[in-house]
Amino acid sequence: MIAFLVYLFTIIGIYGLMSLSLSLQYGTTGLVNLGEVGFFMVGAYVSAIMVMLGGLPIGVGLLGAIAAGAVFGVLMALPIGDLRQDYWAIVTLAAAEIARLIFLNTNLGSPYVGASYGVAGIPAPWQQHFSTAAYGYVYLGLVAVCVACAYALVRWVGRTPYGRLLKAIRESDEVALALGKDVRRARIWAMALGGGIAGLAGGLFAHFNGFIGPDYFMPLETFLVWAMVILGGSGNHLGALVGTAVIEAIYNSTRFLDISQAHASLVASLRMVLIGVLIILVILYLPRGLVPEGRRRYGGSRAAQR
Amino acid sequence: MIQIVIDSLIRASELALLAVGLTMVYDVLRFPSFAHVEFGTVGAFIALAVASLAPDHAWAVVVGATVAVIVSGLLGIGADRLIFSRLRQASPIILMIASFGLGIAMRFTVRAIWGPDAHGYPLPLQRPWLVLGGRITPTAVIIIAATLVCMLAFHLLLNHTRLGVAMRATADNAQLSEASGIYTERIIRLVWFIGCGFAALGGVMLGLATQIDPNMGFSIMLPVFAAAILGGIGNPYGAVVGACVLGFAETIGLSINWAPLLHWAGVTAGYLFIPTGYKQAISFVILILILLVRPQGLLKSRVS
Repeated sequence: MIAFLVYLFTIIGIYGLMSLSLSLQYGTTGLVNLGEVGFFMVGAYVSAIMVMLGGLPIGVGLLGAIAAGAVFGVLMALPIGDLRQDYWAIVTLAAAEIARLIFLNTNLGSPYVGASYGVAGIPAPWQQHFSTAAYGYVYLGLVAVCVACAYALVRWVGRTPYGRLLKAIRESDEVALALGKDVRRARIWAMALGGGIAGLAGGLFAHFNGFIGPDYFMPLETFLVWAMVILGGSGNHLGALVGTAVIEAIYNSTRFLDISQAHASLVASLRMVLIGVLIILVILYLPRGLVPEGRRRYGGSRAAQR
Repeated sequence: MIQIVIDSLIRASELALLAVGLTMVYDVLRFPSFAHVEFGTVGAFIALAVASLAPDHAWAVVVGATVAVIVSGLLGIGADRLIFSRLRQASPIILMIASFGLGIAMRFTVRAIWGPDAHGYPLPLQRPWLVLGGRITPTAVIIIAATLVCMLAFHLLLNHTRLGVAMRATADNAQLSEASGIYTERIIRLVWFIGCGFAALGGVMLGLATQIDPNMGFSIMLPVFAAAILGGIGNPYGAVVGACVLGFAETIGLSINWAPLLHWAGVTAGYLFIPTGYKQAISFVILILILLVRPQGLLKSRVS
């Protein structure tokens, strides 16, 4: 049971990074990125490739994952920087899927590595120094530190002038344009930042799971992250983490049901139906989420607010 | 050569039915419904369920397709009543995400009922006809003909009936139409019915041409969106044009030898085909090119 909880919290932490990334893109900037899983996938593959084929230390692999996620974010944003959010939605969705096709169809070095075989035996950091039982806590600690840093980063960005510009773009990009701001550039940077955070999540996942394959990075993962952010309350980074915990708890709860193999596929389907319905119900009845976005006062005194 | 034309027309037919529905809903409600292609999946499976009742008769598929169109159309109205009508004042982004959630819920409901496996319609094996050196099955003829009939009927509805005028007016300016005595909510319901009905028919045809599985809607989402955007989103005629371009681009892209064309670029391979695994990439490249060069689409988008 304890081992399961450690596993669950590690997964919540990894997905928490993804929802912080989406919270920055959608919650703060209003970007509809339906290709969030692309960052995760690129990060996971790049870190795995750098460590396994390049022989580099895992820390360097994780830095590579951050960089790869950021670059992927910029690449996705470049052709659509000026366009409306409905175009963003379809292009990001497609870009992540095309990137997945590339990983699905490309061998990495030897014949049974990469492509549909995936990459197996990805090493985990400092594993030889700990027992298996203790190592779970070590990795959980590593993930927790990463989540804390990412949370501090997105909170800090929100308080800078750049963060205020992002919120202005969310409310109306025309207003930001009229004020002479470079909206396109701000959006591209937001995608780079978000991509870096989600790329790190991918790297952490690869070394945690030890195996990655193209089937792990279906568009459904993006949908789960959206469910987390919407449920938690878009625009509030703490809400994104709360939403992550709730959705992951629902998602993993079915493993305690005593189900036969025949029903496993049915339960997996019903689980996704439940999360889909949950998103719609939250949008209809709880549009601000579990933890609504706080209103920030400027100017300090109450009199200034009147 | 003629085979490429035939294959392209079949693909264009499937895409056109789905893209017209998508663009219609966009035209009136101003958001792209990510659930739209899932109505195609639902339609294909409903038609399968009906057709399986009388597996020995080929006409059972026709009855099934009719039932699928009606049921999917009603499901579209139901989705609008339950979800989207409550979000008329919300931003398109919220509507988009709600439709994304609805799409996932629909796809996995289908998967829960019929399982993840692929099915086919109970049709006897067909001997293809030889036309100008190309092969075409009777089913393919029906697919292309039915699409042409649907598009023609829709064109007549849009331009030669009071209902069509009301639809176009609602799409142009809902408030002004309401002030002129058009009951816009009824028009919106009609748009959902027709759009989702067309999607269901497109799904049945996709199922006839290939196979029926819960992911079929999602797998065609990208070309359908690319077709709608290429033609100018919100413009039904543009969607048909876009579907034809996509149909031909996909078929031609996969079936021609690129090596001679890339000779100038220093490619010396004797043959160079795009692997079928990258079929989706063709739609993606076209989508990016339109968005870079002409985001309003080939024909003028009706939405500024």
